[in-house]
Amino acid sequence: MKFDVAIVGAGPAGLAAAYRLASSGFKVVVLERGREPGAKELYGGRIYAYWLDKYLPEFRKDAPVDRWVRKERVSFLTEDKALTVELAITQKEKTSFVVPLVSFVSWLSKLVQGAGAKIVTEVTVDALVKDEKGKITGVRSGSDVLQAEYVIDAEGVNRLLLERAGIVKKLEPELVAVGVKEVLKFENKKVLEERLGLDEDEGLAWALAGYPTEYLPGGGFIYTYKDSLALGVVVYLKNWEKLKTPVYDLIEKFRLHPYIAPLVKGATLQEYGGHMTPVAGINMSPPRYYYDGLLIVGDAAGFLLHTGVLIRGVDFAIASGVLAAEAIKEARSPSAEDLAIYEKKLRESFVLQQLEKFRSADRLLGDESLFRDLTLLSTEAAYRYFNIDHNQRTMFEAVREASKKTRVSVLKTMINMIRMLRSL
Amino acid sequence: MSLKYFTIEERLNANAWDVDIHRPHIKIKDPDKCRTCEKKPCTYMCPAKCYVQQGDYIVLSTEACVECGTCRVVCPHGAIEWNYPRSGMGIWYRFT
Repeated sequence: MKFDVAIVGAGPAGLAAAYRLASSGFKVVVLERGREPGAKELYGGRIYAYWLDKYLPEFRKDAPVDRWVRKERVSFLTEDKALTVELAITQKEKTSFVVPLVSFVSWLSKLVQGAGAKIVTEVTVDALVKDEKGKITGVRSGSDVLQAEYVIDAEGVNRLLLERAGIVKKLEPELVAVGVKEVLKFENKKVLEERLGLDEDEGLAWALAGYPTEYLPGGGFIYTYKDSLALGVVVYLKNWEKLKTPVYDLIEKFRLHPYIAPLVKGATLQEYGGHMTPVAGINMSPPRYYYDGLLIVGDAAGFLLHTGVLIRGVDFAIASGVLAAEAIKEARSPSAEDLAIYEKKLRESFVLQQLEKFRSADRLLGDESLFRDLTLLSTEAAYRYFNIDHNQRTMFEAVREASKKTRVSVLKTMINMIRMLRSL
Repeated sequence: MSLKYFTIEERLNANAWDVDIHRPHIKIKDPDKCRTCEKKPCTYMCPAKCYVQQGDYIVLSTEACVECGTCRVVCPHGAIEWNYPRSGMGIWYRFT
């Protein structure tokens, strides 16, 4: 049986492509190695809605949403202090939401099946199949070969298939971080809401720098699901040597930090996982996004934008999947020449425009002193400002004292803040 | 206040998975490389503590692997062979 399109990976990118293609009458198969779509997926917790309105408007009607994010928090955290900034939206705004990725993907896969595409689970694709001219003509799983006119690689960050096909080199530690995550469940969702100061349908997205990663690049995160929360740390692979604590202990140290522990006490652990995330964005993209018979979407293509605080993966994945589908619909043949329209579409869309714009974010965020300096200086300065003893300090005095105590240069910090303002 | 430290074993026990006992999806290609590897980043960076140092050697247990792929990338000697587990095997995320 020959398919028009074979898609590797039932994640947001692969399923979005499948949905678009199947809706237009293409014979589509999605191959997923997990027991169900989403079984191998893990992310922070939040999905941005703005671009989904353009690329997958169906989601507004019935996609699962645990909570719409109306509170954004950013904290600098040290052993004994935390300085937190919170943005709260009091209108019932719906611009990003928190939901377990597996729930969202499960909904998306039903949409895909409804459109007539076939999702085959428990199939691990081992390689892309090429003909003698180098054109990708299908995929191989064990000794089975499945032929397709077009193949979409949506295999995710590990991209073994692209590596085996000679398209990308093995991932370097500089390009990726590892996220470690716990899902902590509350018996009563009111407890979760009261502790985090949320209304019953409100969600919180929280990024924390400093202590969670021993002041190294990366940080901690908390997202509130319906009656549970996602808590985790993200560590750049390139910095592992400077870590004093293995990542599996780092996350527990973060959970048990005196600022965090009271929020999660009594919650039971529902799931524990880890996943790599492409921190280098476009800097880890393959040389091209299209080859003879092949298109590359989602994490495998490096389509993840992160600015330290804001991390966008799912909306980029979905947009790239949709654009790949549109490219196949318009292409006259599966030749690279015809599929070049995919890159054109990516360039015309927010996907490559935004990734280009934040291209240098990676270098700044990977700067070891950045998080350390900002965290130490800001928490210490705030402490000195608020802590009245024999002397009440001006803000300037508080910062100067903090600089002396932490040995962090105010000037250097200010320069870094300007760099942040410009590139993050 | 229950401020219990969840051991890594307790945490991994919360997960669901189906272990492929016949064909582990990760192998150490060359244990001698691990023996001479001074830094052994796998022992630090694997979220599931699959890599444990015993003497100079590394003992790898793939059963509770969360399939992030970090070990392969962080290994400075390219000593780790990493595959996707076959046919539905491995971890099964349900709540993340």
